[in-house]
Amino acid sequence: MSGVEERNFARLMVTPAVGLLFLVTIAPLLFSVVVSFTNLQFGSPQPMRWNGLDNYVNLTLRDTRFLSALWRTILLVTGGVITQTVLGFAVASLLFRIRRGRTVLLSAILIPSVISQVVAGWQGRMIFNASYGPLNDMLARLGIKGPAWLASQQTALTAIFLTDTWQWTPFLALIILAALQSLPQDIVEAARLDGAYGWSMFRFVTLPLIVPVTGIGILLRGVDLFKTFDLVYILTQGGPGNSSETLTFFTYVQGFKFFNPSYASAMSFIQLVLVTIAAKMFLAFIRRQRSF
Amino acid sequence: MSKRVLLNFLKWGALIAFVILFLFPFFWIMASSLKGRGEFFTRPPVWIPTHLEWSNYPDSLRRGAMKGLTDSFVIAFSSMVISLLLGAPAAYAIARFQVGRENLAFWILSIRMFPPIATILPLFVIFRFIGLVDSYAGLVLSYTVFNLPFAIWILKGFIEDLPREIEEAAKVDGAKPFQIFRLIVIPLAAPGLVVAALFTFIFAWNDFAYAVIFSGSKVTPLPVVIAQFAGGHEILWGQISAAAIIAIAPALVIAIFLQKYLTRGLTMGAVK
Repeated sequence: MSGVEERNFARLMVTPAVGLLFLVTIAPLLFSVVVSFTNLQFGSPQPMRWNGLDNYVNLTLRDTRFLSALWRTILLVTGGVITQTVLGFAVASLLFRIRRGRTVLLSAILIPSVISQVVAGWQGRMIFNASYGPLNDMLARLGIKGPAWLASQQTALTAIFLTDTWQWTPFLALIILAALQSLPQDIVEAARLDGAYGWSMFRFVTLPLIVPVTGIGILLRGVDLFKTFDLVYILTQGGPGNSSETLTFFTYVQGFKFFNPSYASAMSFIQLVLVTIAAKMFLAFIRRQRSF
Repeated sequence: MSKRVLLNFLKWGALIAFVILFLFPFFWIMASSLKGRGEFFTRPPVWIPTHLEWSNYPDSLRRGAMKGLTDSFVIAFSSMVISLLLGAPAAYAIARFQVGRENLAFWILSIRMFPPIATILPLFVIFRFIGLVDSYAGLVLSYTVFNLPFAIWILKGFIEDLPREIEEAAKVDGAKPFQIFRLIVIPLAAPGLVVAALFTFIFAWNDFAYAVIFSGSKVTPLPVVIAQFAGGHEILWGQISAAAIIAIAPALVIAIFLQKYLTRGLTMGAVK
């Protein structure tokens, strides 16, 4: 069979999938970009007209609610990624150091990462319940007066962060454990013979070797934290006030509560650009780390 | 020697603490799903219900969880079938014939990074226009946004791991490319197909962002039912907890089956 025939066959095989993906991602996205340059509103008597960059200018320069949602999201992403990586590393290295029971313990620990975020959110609702929840009960037994958690502007975002960390630390532990298990033993042995141990072993041998694999986990987590929606919806609806409103949730509110698809489209396009830039920068950073 | 015993003790102590931490919320909703009405509003809270209120389960099923369960099942199953039917040929073409080179593969991967809201919003406008809001088809179609790229990447990895020689031998014997795909690649990639099937099922089963927007009075997947319960005026703590336990069950069973492939599945095949 000739190369041309093979190429045609291969094209035929990808066409349905690529066509469908185009229809559900690129086409709506283009539509959304177009809408973002208009004043389209559902149920508004005003006729739709072009308004150029107005939506983008308003968002980035005037809309403080958008900017504080952006800031909150950045906090959530960085805080979540750092905490979950550190805790995940702790869990993974503990599991790596035991001989028996590793698989059983790992599967028990992993349960949070395979359940629906709605269920995780519901668990959070019960656990963070200020008056009748187990968390404040335990704190009270220790003589600490627990905060109102979900009902307080100071702690609502923290509760979301804690729920996410509870759900996804196991995921990072799983990945870091995979990285630790695939460490080339000859390099580790050679380093040990050269006198590396403790911190120097970790910093100059283990860390550079687990960065590529761990990096993938961190990237996936960062991207997902950036899109945090389900937990906000179930736990706080963005409140009290707007104190726990993330970018995605605010976009949802603009689009589906205020029926303002043009403004929401501009917002979601900004998010897409931000997440792409951040992911690219992170990948470049990982690549640089690897060469050390 | 005693230092070693102490270290061992600390290691296991820390591990057990982590296990308790990660499993405690499950204990709590399990206990809550068996509490009577009065047991939710006491201080200190009831940790273990005195008498088991099993009626929370049938009650929650009657109030909408049963409909949620069937809707979730129909949608997740259809999404799985479509992802495999379209994903497997695409994965084969990309893995073996390098269609579209790196660009196509990377584009498919990058869809994973899309904030769902970026596609949900325009899809909603389009779906409303063509009458797909509040229908099975609308949700199944929108789940291809994440499930199809996932299936393609996972299967691509499994197919790349297969020895090329068998396919080449079949080619020499005069087999047509589609015959090679159907009669050789598909059976050999069966474990990959099972992994892709179970994961796409769970992802669709667990989704909330698309579900809450594209559902309505006719179609109500289980996570939406739970969210509605939880957002109502009178919060039915016991019934919601029962529904949550029901929603966890399939994911749990599948996760136990998939244990060996969890890393691969949760990282889109990037870590094996």
